[in-house]
This record gives sequence, structure tokens and C-alpha cells, in this order.
Amino acid sequence: MKLNDLEQAMLDGIHGKAAQWAIGYQKSVGTFFDAEDFVPVRVIHVSTDRETMGDSGVAFIEELATMPPAERRPRAFATADFRGFDEETFRFLLPGRDLAAESREAVDALGQLGIVTSHAYVNDHSVTAPGFGEACGYSGTPSVVYMNGIVGARCNFEAGPSSLAAFFTGRVPRYGFHLDANRKATHGFKLDFKPETVVDWGIVGALIGRKLNSYWSVPALEIAGARPTILELNHMALSMASYGSIAMFHVIGITPEAPDWTTATGGRRLDAEVISLADLEDFYAEWGGVGDKLDVVALSTPQLDIPEIVAIAEQLDGRKVHPDTTLLVYAPIEIKQACARIGLVDTIEKAGGRVVHGHDFFATFAKEIREAHGWSRLMTHSVKMVNICEGYGYKPTPASIDRCIDSAIAGKVLP
Amino acid sequence: MTIIKGHVGIGPAVEGIALAAHDNFSTRYDLDRDRGIVSRPSHKLYGESYVGRILVLNAAKGGVASAWMLREMVIKERAPLALLLNDANPVMAQGAAFADLPLIDRFETDITAAIRSGDRIAVDPAHGVVRILSE
Repeated sequence: MKLNDLEQAMLDGIHGKAAQWAIGYQKSVGTFFDAEDFVPVRVIHVSTDRETMGDSGVAFIEELATMPPAERRPRAFATADFRGFDEETFRFLLPGRDLAAESREAVDALGQLGIVTSHAYVNDHSVTAPGFGEACGYSGTPSVVYMNGIVGARCNFEAGPSSLAAFFTGRVPRYGFHLDANRKATHGFKLDFKPETVVDWGIVGALIGRKLNSYWSVPALEIAGARPTILELNHMALSMASYGSIAMFHVIGITPEAPDWTTATGGRRLDAEVISLADLEDFYAEWGGVGDKLDVVALSTPQLDIPEIVAIAEQLDGRKVHPDTTLLVYAPIEIKQACARIGLVDTIEKAGGRVVHGHDFFATFAKEIREAHGWSRLMTHSVKMVNICEGYGYKPTPASIDRCIDSAIAGKVLP
Repeated sequence: MTIIKGHVGIGPAVEGIALAAHDNFSTRYDLDRDRGIVSRPSHKLYGESYVGRILVLNAAKGGVASAWMLREMVIKERAPLALLLNDANPVMAQGAAFADLPLIDRFETDITAAIRSGDRIAVDPAHGVVRILSE
């Protein structure tokens, strides 16, 4: 990789030990992917959830934070998404374990480094976004695929250590989706039906992700019918990322780099594979569960927005969640507070549900939570969560929020 | 001795016994990292211990978790000895670099077909080369 004078000085240790570690680490990753040079970034999102970091990740950040300021100077604006701060809920979900206390050391260390510990899982809407064409360094795969596909910003998956390195160097290796050629569609798809819920959109993402299953594949999708909402596109996008490691996509006539097929593909001719209603129905059938006792409903990934919580409160108003079923509704703390001010949290809690802030179900010890409660059957509207929680020993059923809520009240999976 | 060439990789050279399948790979989705076994029921290697083995799989998948997790697994001695993948995504490369765990990808042939579980192999990331020492 070519280094400019500043980057070489970082590597030589002139700009402190943190930058020296960071640029050396980024250079090894950039070399692996044949990057020619670095590209500057302004905004960074550092994935720092307690479960994935482990004790060694926390210790690594603490070690950086104890360096003198001159050794660890930031070169970009960064937020972190540390989760696990709804202490009341965590006392219920993981009895005998003080996750907030476990997380506090790392949060303090991140804060000392100058990283904004805002705790949103996917902060696409709460931090000033990068602009079209701007390079950025985001960790969370939902954020990366959102920035590439929906915003038209440029980003690779920059996982926790990698985005932390970018925080100290203000740049990332220029490979992958920073390069024009790699952003063009490599595979074409067409829907022969109109998805009706965010779950349907999530399944479309899962089906495409399973078919491609490569970070370097870029699907382009032609749809009919109404323009999908950002939330629907987001569910499809994060599901593609989860099932197939996809980081970039196009929807013809909808997303910014795909006004038409020719632009999306860079002139390459692609045959569009049809995703049918039968494919959608097969996916639902694959997970089944109808009639099973329902242990937990987790509505998150992404955490919910206000209109979704309004709808849940309306559906629950005057009804009761079955005593053998736990209903968890996840929101960023700012959204939870806004919902509390207009009475929505109270309505959900009176019905026996819990509105949880500060973490995401799948991302914070979901396996340990299952073991602590002896849970098996899980319902969720997040197709990404279905994928992850199967690996954690749950039997997940994907379903619309409406169906999840009605099933929580019945205490069993309703059709 | 069979020699298979890939892209220049990450991490030190090692020798060990392969654990191979054509399935994809995610540290978060597929592994019980406490017990050191593959925990996804639909995975071909379900129930197998991967600790200290050279894990040979198709493509890296899923989210950012692997980048922190691989180093934690190495420190807790619950890591594979090396990773050989047909396609590593950035997260797997970032994780391997952070953990100093040997990783090679982009082979001249389908690595999951060229290597079988139980083969003794030598992995040389600096040159992007894998040698099958005994089958």
C-alpha cells in the first residue's frame, strides 16, 4: 500500500502509539485486500457490544484509554453502541449478573478516548449521516449496507477493532465498496409479488443473501408496486447482510445509484432471477412453530421506531400478555422516553410487555438468557434475529408484529 | 505432497489437522465458543470440536462480531489453529489480523473440495500457500 507522509509518520510512531498500532493494523488488512492507498473518513461507528468484545476487547480499550492523550489523539468523530444499560430488564433477563456494571469499565474507557457512547444499536437516524459518495467507517453490518445501498455513502464492514483503528487514523484502506467498479450490480433479481410487511421484506433479503453468500456480490432488485419505505428497505438490507454478508445493493428506480438497470450494472447485462411468492411462503414454512407454546417475543433488530410502538400499544390496549410468554419491545432510549411521554410505554407495560432500551436482544447474551429461563420458542418480526437466534439454540418463528403480539396474548404461536 | 495457492494471507505459518466442510462460517452464528464446538444444527460440522484444528470452509458470512471474537477465542484457547476460506469478508480479515490468527482465502481451486477433514496440512499465509502433508 502507498502511504502518504502523514500515514508514514503514524506508522513510525510520530503521532502516538495508538495511531501507530492503528495504521499498521489497517495496512495489514488493506494489503490482504490489495488496497492501493487510504481514504479519509469523517464519521465512524464502533461496534462495542459487551458480548462480542469479550474481556480481552474491554482490556484492549482500557489499555488505549490509559495512554497519555498525546499517544491516543482522535482523527475522526466516532460513536459507540455499547448495549446492556436497561438495568431493570437485565436483572430479569439475566438474574444474578450485573451486565451494566460489567460494561461500565469499557464505556468509561471509550468515553475517555473521546468516543461518543450513545448506545443506539443502529444509529442511522440519530447521528449526522455521511453524504452521497462520502467515505465512512461504520461497524454494524446493518449500518454499512444502509449507508452503501440507501444513502450512497461508501463503506466496507469496518468491525470493532477496525473502526477503532480508523478513529485514531481518520482513514480506512481504500478497497471493496470505496471503489466505483465494486459498487455495480453483479446479480439481478425480480419480485413476482408485493411484500406486505417488513417481515416479507426481511425474507426477500434473506433469500437474496442465501443465494449470493459473498461479501463481493451486489444484488440489484426490480420490484413492482408501491415505493418501499426506508424501514422496509432497512429490513431487507440488514437481512441480506446477515444471511449473505452483503454490504451493497440496488433497488431499480429507488436507491440512489440505480436509476435504471444500465446504471446499476455499469452496462453489464444481467438476467434477473425471479423471487416468487412460493419462495416467501417456503421460508415461513421452514421455521414453522404454529401451535407451539410461545416463550418469548422479541421485537428488535432494528430497534423499533415511534410509529411501530404506537401500533403495538394500540394492539395491546386493554389486553394482557399470557403469563407464560415474555414480550420484549426494544427501542433506543431516546425513543423510549418519547414514547413514555405520550403514554405508550405505560400501555404496553400494563398489558404485561416490557419496553427495553439500550441493547438489542440478539446482541446481548441471548444464549445465556435462553438458558436462564429455559426458553425455546421465539417469535420476532426480524428475519436477521431468526438467523442469529437459531445458532443460540432458539426455535425462532418469523412473523409480523401483529401476529407476534396476538401470539404473545394467546401464549402460543398463532397462524 | 499437494500444494494449493491462494492470495497472500494474514498471520503466522502453522501446521495442523484440517476440519473441512463446504458450509459457510460465522463465529457468532455457528459456534458455541464456550465449548469450542460448532453449534448450528444445520451446519455440516454440527457438534464437532474446532479448537486447535485448521478450519476449512467456504465463505465468511454475517456480521461484525468475528473481529472482536477471534482474539477472545485465541486468548481463551477456544480458537481454531487457522482459517482457510474460499472467500473471507473484511470482518474475518480484520478479526484474523487483530487476533494474529492465520487466514488464507481466494485459492486457485475450491479449498473445501481440495482438503478433507483429517488431512495434515501446512499453512503459510505470507506466501498464500497451503501444503497437504498427508491425506
